[in-house]
Amino acid sequence: MSLPVTTPAPGAASPAWRGILYLLMIAIAVVSAFPLVWMVLSSLKTPAEAMQTPPVWIPGTPSLDAYQKVSELISVGRSFANSALIAGITTAGILVTSLMAGYAFAKYRFRYREVLFAITIATMFLPPIVTLIPLYRLVGSIGLNASLAGVIVPNLANAFGIFLMRQFIAGVPDELVEAARLDGASEFRIVFTIVAPAVAPALAALALFAFVYHWNSYLWPLTVLQGNSSQYPIVISLSRLLSYNRSAVNTGLVMAGATLAVLPPLILFVFLQRFFVRTITASGMTGQ
Amino acid sequence: MSGFRKSMVAMLAPSLGLIAIFILVPIALTVWLAFTKWSAQTPFSTATFIGLDNFREIFGTGSVGRDFKGALANTALYSLMSIALILPLSVLFGMLIHQADLRGANILRTILFATYMVPMIAVALVFSKLYSPSEGPINQILGWVGIGPLPWLSSPDTALVSVVLLNVWQQVGYFTILIIAGLTQIPQSIYEAAKMDGARGPALFGFITLPLLKRTLLFSAVIALINAVQVFEPVALVTQGGPVGSTNVMTYHIRRVGIERAQGGLGSAMSVTLLLALVVTVTAVFALARREDRR
Repeated sequence: MSLPVTTPAPGAASPAWRGILYLLMIAIAVVSAFPLVWMVLSSLKTPAEAMQTPPVWIPGTPSLDAYQKVSELISVGRSFANSALIAGITTAGILVTSLMAGYAFAKYRFRYREVLFAITIATMFLPPIVTLIPLYRLVGSIGLNASLAGVIVPNLANAFGIFLMRQFIAGVPDELVEAARLDGASEFRIVFTIVAPAVAPALAALALFAFVYHWNSYLWPLTVLQGNSSQYPIVISLSRLLSYNRSAVNTGLVMAGATLAVLPPLILFVFLQRFFVRTITASGMTGQ
Repeated sequence: MSGFRKSMVAMLAPSLGLIAIFILVPIALTVWLAFTKWSAQTPFSTATFIGLDNFREIFGTGSVGRDFKGALANTALYSLMSIALILPLSVLFGMLIHQADLRGANILRTILFATYMVPMIAVALVFSKLYSPSEGPINQILGWVGIGPLPWLSSPDTALVSVVLLNVWQQVGYFTILIIAGLTQIPQSIYEAAKMDGARGPALFGFITLPLLKRTLLFSAVIALINAVQVFEPVALVTQGGPVGSTNVMTYHIRRVGIERAQGGLGSAMSVTLLLALVVTVTAVFALARREDRR
């Protein structure tokens, strides 16, 4: 994305001033990247290096021992599979429910439409802790506690997705929808074969957002899984490494685990970030 | 039912049904449970109505009241500090990336935004090591310029600020993207017209950029507040609310009372109080902004 830029007025941006701005930019990038770089470097240290005072920055003899040790302590494969199931199914559900509701709110006219939409949007601003206690009991009473289903089902629809889809589907020409109706296409067919491709970049952004959010989410799985460790996603398994971390010997271990958990969302981000930035800019969600 | 009605209901039922069952019903339950004595380990039917007793207790002078009021104050302070750091930084970063015409600006945007993708649990673990007073690199770097050593997470005076800083580090990239989105909406012609009239840097910022970013800033502040209220992982994992309750924040405290100690009624009263506090704060901020608009 190339952004329009002011043509600097004569004398407005002296070379010295631009030099300062470049330095500032580099400083921000370094501070921003430092914790992650340090995380990866520490995961490659030997236990002795990891506990040295003052800290050593670059491991003398990089080794993957910490990663080996992590896989002995927690079932990494199982945790990754659980995370992938939670994030994958939740994301698929959100895409489908958001497309359908976004289509209805954008293209149908019906009584109470604005009221229903307003109530839906209001839930976007609700911190999860407010409903956590009864939700925990509610999910238990329908028999979903301590299972992946309990983690997934309450999150299959969300207001952010509905809002985003309504914004973008409103921009799909009515003629396109009308033409498909005249051809005898059902409403579901229209949503998934005509509207969905027309808003593909926004769908990609929503997919990234939902997947990363639910891959990373901690509070709800921790609460609903109630110590059923075979169902733990990687972020919860990772938190169990900390008990080994009380002795500083295992800093490398925790950093190796953290590195593993960070990789999937970051890799996804690298591929999808351009959709994300464009979508936020175009959605009007910043109040314009 | 007409065909149109049928397809409208079919389109809306899955999402609105889920939102009703898993968000609206729990909100109603939270409000009702706040007026009851109820163990979260037992069915809802065991809840017994006790009027305002829970609220009397959480605002009382006993240990329950002391802990709750402490958590409320910590969360308010935490939110204020987060917003006060995130908004100016994201405006600075957004202008640097969008308006300064620097090569590599997109790379900076990517690096900044990437931190937002990192699971909070990993952020908490990494920062617990970065902050380590003796083995951490932060105190080492500060030592080179003659500062410190600072106690970071291990002192009640600095622990909450330390959590704020790791939160700012993680989230500022997201807010920078929001600000850039706001900046792209400001017509270039306004800047050019102002420059014709001789306006330069600070004047352009004060009279054009800032006023036209107002709605974006307002939205960002509300999102930053909602995010700040949710801080959980660094507290649950690293500080356990300490030292001496200095990082005991609402999400952590409510979960501990309502789920871990299973005092569902008491926890619900705390949730209702939090919700009311948020509604009042957000409404007041918007009302103030609107009144200023009319001037």
